[in-house]
Amino acid sequence: MSQEEKTARPPGHRFQKRGLSFDGAIKYFFASNAGLTIVILILIIVFLLKEGLGFFPGYRRELEIYRVAGLEFVDISRKNLTAQEQLTSLLNRAYFAEINGKSAREIRRTQEASALFNAYTDQIGATRDLVVNNTQEGSHPNPQMMATLMANYEKQKTKALSSLPATPHLTESERAALIDSIRGRAVDATEDPPLVAKLAEEYAAAQQKHAEPLQAVRATIDTFESSGSELSGLISEMTETVTATKAKLSEADLLEKDRKTLLAAAASAKDPAEREKLTAEAHASLAEIPDTEGPIQLLLERRPACIEIHEKLRQAASGIPSQLPADFSQPEANRLLGVARKAWPVFLSDLGKTPAEINSWKHDKPVALTTAIGSFLTGKDWVTGGEWQDFYGILPLAAGSLMISIVALVIAIPTGIGAAIYVNQFASPWEQSTIKPVIEFIQAIPSVVLGFIGILVFGTVLRDLSMSDSLSWVPGFPIEERLNIFTAGCLLALMSIPTIFSLAEDAINNVPGAYAEASEALGASRIQTTFRVIIPAAFSGILAAILLGLGRVIGETMVVLLVAGNRIKIPDFTSGFGTFFQPAHTLTGIIAQELGEVPLGSVHYRALFVVGIALFAVVLAINATAHRFVNQMKH
Amino acid sequence: MSHPDKLIRKGLPKGHFKDVAVRFLLGGGTYFIVLIAALLFGKIIVDGAPVLFKAEAPFVDFDFLTAKNQTLHVFDDAQGTRHQLPASEYSEYLKKNEGKEIFNEQSYSYSGGGIAGPIVGTALLTVGSMIIALFFGVCAAIYLSEYAKQSPFIHAVRLAILNLAGIPSIVFGLFGFSVFVLAVPVITAAPSDRSLLVIPLLIGDYVMSFQGWNSSLMAGCATLACMILPVIITASEESLRAVPQGFRDASLAMGATRWQTIRKCVLPFSLPGILTSSLLSIARVAGETAPIMFTAAVAAKDDLPWQGLKSPFDLLSSQVQALPYHIYTLAARIPNSEYTQRAQFGSVFVFLLLVAFLSAGSMILRAKLRAKLKW
Repeated sequence: MSQEEKTARPPGHRFQKRGLSFDGAIKYFFASNAGLTIVILILIIVFLLKEGLGFFPGYRRELEIYRVAGLEFVDISRKNLTAQEQLTSLLNRAYFAEINGKSAREIRRTQEASALFNAYTDQIGATRDLVVNNTQEGSHPNPQMMATLMANYEKQKTKALSSLPATPHLTESERAALIDSIRGRAVDATEDPPLVAKLAEEYAAAQQKHAEPLQAVRATIDTFESSGSELSGLISEMTETVTATKAKLSEADLLEKDRKTLLAAAASAKDPAEREKLTAEAHASLAEIPDTEGPIQLLLERRPACIEIHEKLRQAASGIPSQLPADFSQPEANRLLGVARKAWPVFLSDLGKTPAEINSWKHDKPVALTTAIGSFLTGKDWVTGGEWQDFYGILPLAAGSLMISIVALVIAIPTGIGAAIYVNQFASPWEQSTIKPVIEFIQAIPSVVLGFIGILVFGTVLRDLSMSDSLSWVPGFPIEERLNIFTAGCLLALMSIPTIFSLAEDAINNVPGAYAEASEALGASRIQTTFRVIIPAAFSGILAAILLGLGRVIGETMVVLLVAGNRIKIPDFTSGFGTFFQPAHTLTGIIAQELGEVPLGSVHYRALFVVGIALFAVVLAINATAHRFVNQMKH
Repeated sequence: MSHPDKLIRKGLPKGHFKDVAVRFLLGGGTYFIVLIAALLFGKIIVDGAPVLFKAEAPFVDFDFLTAKNQTLHVFDDAQGTRHQLPASEYSEYLKKNEGKEIFNEQSYSYSGGGIAGPIVGTALLTVGSMIIALFFGVCAAIYLSEYAKQSPFIHAVRLAILNLAGIPSIVFGLFGFSVFVLAVPVITAAPSDRSLLVIPLLIGDYVMSFQGWNSSLMAGCATLACMILPVIITASEESLRAVPQGFRDASLAMGATRWQTIRKCVLPFSLPGILTSSLLSIARVAGETAPIMFTAAVAAKDDLPWQGLKSPFDLLSSQVQALPYHIYTLAARIPNSEYTQRAQFGSVFVFLLLVAFLSAGSMILRAKLRAKLKW
């Protein structure tokens, strides 16, 4: 086949003059189609780069305005204020965790009673409103109609009463009394049933009782909370000035851009009159360069006051830890207190560094392109469409993608590979012929369907499960958010199991039979043969399977967009294992969510393309490594 | 003799319990996956099947499949009867009962009527992208299997195929958006402002303007085709290589040209295989959401794609609804309540049924083909 055969060309064939036969033309036609794949790949790279690379100069200009207008200066103080607020909130949470932990019994009872009552009112609400509305508005309602309405109401009431939620913390008699009081309610009654009110009172009393010994703590927290007020006043004052300057600068930039467009249009216009007009317009729209020096000087004059306020805050804050109790009685409160204690020295040392930072800050220090690139790669905030300043930092998204992948792989690797080993080595032929198609069929489920199941069914089931008392020992339970890293990870695990399973099964299957025979001939058991001979021989193939599964997980969009919770924040690692139950956002999710809403050509639009480039690079690297392992296996 | 070691040694073999434990663990994991899959399908079937199937003849609720998608209005009339009406019937009801009050009105977008629009849109997108991908894919596969020899070009093509297959679908979405929606050339008399490049054609006022096809059926099909191309090429090449070498040798020996050989002796035998494996790609194309989010799909549309068109070309340049995007909208934008469940689980059930038919069909066809074609 390799030999190119020569067919006699009919004389006068149309391609003959150019030395190209009909067959040759067909060959080139097919070759050009094969070349299409290269063209597509190149186009993908070129267009990603074309849209993406414009991001960095644009972002640099935004950072420059951020600095020149003085927003950066204000942010030095804002950072400290945020830290102070976070610490306050930690202390408050610890305080309330302590009180609520001690009055847990009362809380549960109140919650259960009101949940039961709410479930009832939710169900009868609509029919009840009808009855009440008709009696109030029409003074002489049609009696027949009223009868129908009342019958409807009674029917709904019976139905609602028969489907009330469980109340494990209420005694039998309490529950019966509550249901009785609900059943006996007048149609237009608005007050709570007696038991609900009584339990609420009990709860309030318990809270007060447990708050009593904590008065000193409360006072300490309040002192700390109020110590930030001076700083916050200063910041809001400065904010006004700097945002005005920033707005002027951005406007000037826009005008300048318009002017350039007009000049370009003038240069290409054919009609001289038209050109005159465009040029005149361009000159007219010449932006006056806004005065930045004045406002900045005003800002810089505040330096001493600013430093003084920081000093005061530091002095106020340094005494707080010694006034806090050594430990609380509730584990959750203790944990939060521990986190606050650990963060305290960092907070104080940050405050200590602030004066130097304020003094050394220069508004006219140029922003380098590398700064823009660096702050994109290591930025901890992805803030867009805000009033203050847009930041494009990829870290929160990468962290979200990574955490979700970790959860998915931790679940999918053992199950997927275990299933592959079982099916290939231990399963009966019947099991083989049923399990394999079922697992391969999972691969055919479109990801949006899995996302749908996650958002409507799985997330709710998982949260309800985490509420039960018997599982409260699991770290991170009960889950606060229905949609979180763990939910998304579980569904992605289900998506990647078929990939890992079939590739790993192939790899195990490809191990030469002689290996197993030799091992068994030496007297090894089946388990020994499998785990000491076959798995090591198939190891690089299995590694490739894992990597390709990882590639699939990182590149998946719809499931994470629907199920991960879409909160753009680096997960709070202080909560230990509970970190996995926080919402997150991912590299793929952000593109899908924001691309439809951004203006074309804006910095934000380009930022999404840069995220696309990052994703493309990561997935290609993973796949290339995987294929290297596959090739290793062949040799 | 199933246990030869019993002949040698009495009692359980050494390490028997470990053996059983390991088997049990592995088997348990495997059946756990199967169980989860069964639960998942079970939930969708239990909640979705009642929407599509009815107890009385004709047993299938064709309305759900053929009616347009509408907003659902839920309200009580003065007698306390609860009505659930799609938007068109709701306005009729209001006209008929003018002056009467209604209470507790709530509306749920996308939940009334049926899902004809998304079904038709998905079919159009799938057919369009498969036509493009099959044409280019089969041609490329013919080159790779019939003509190619070791060369840098082939090496580059193989590398490109491998890489294309690994690119995440959302990156294809970005690519489709920046190329097909915003940059491909169109021939028009009135180029857009954001056109990248305008080339005068010297025929009337017409120019070739690189301004893209906007978000349209055409752009969506092209994007999906690019995405599925590597799969089609790989499958077709495998199918072409399965045709025995002897067929080609015999044909060439008879004096046929290479093209005649391919056309008469290779393609007819490999075509069933190519079509079978492309069925699986159809299932994949139909299920993709990310690439069509910005290139073709629209959440709500009143008309079916072919209604109100001036020329057939308008079909290609109009946006369509699509089943996966519809499900995304149903899951993400509207709350889950007893009134929206019909639309939600009904759509998912129909969608899954469609995908299941396609993949099961491809599996069965492939098995049959393997059994039949024995050279």
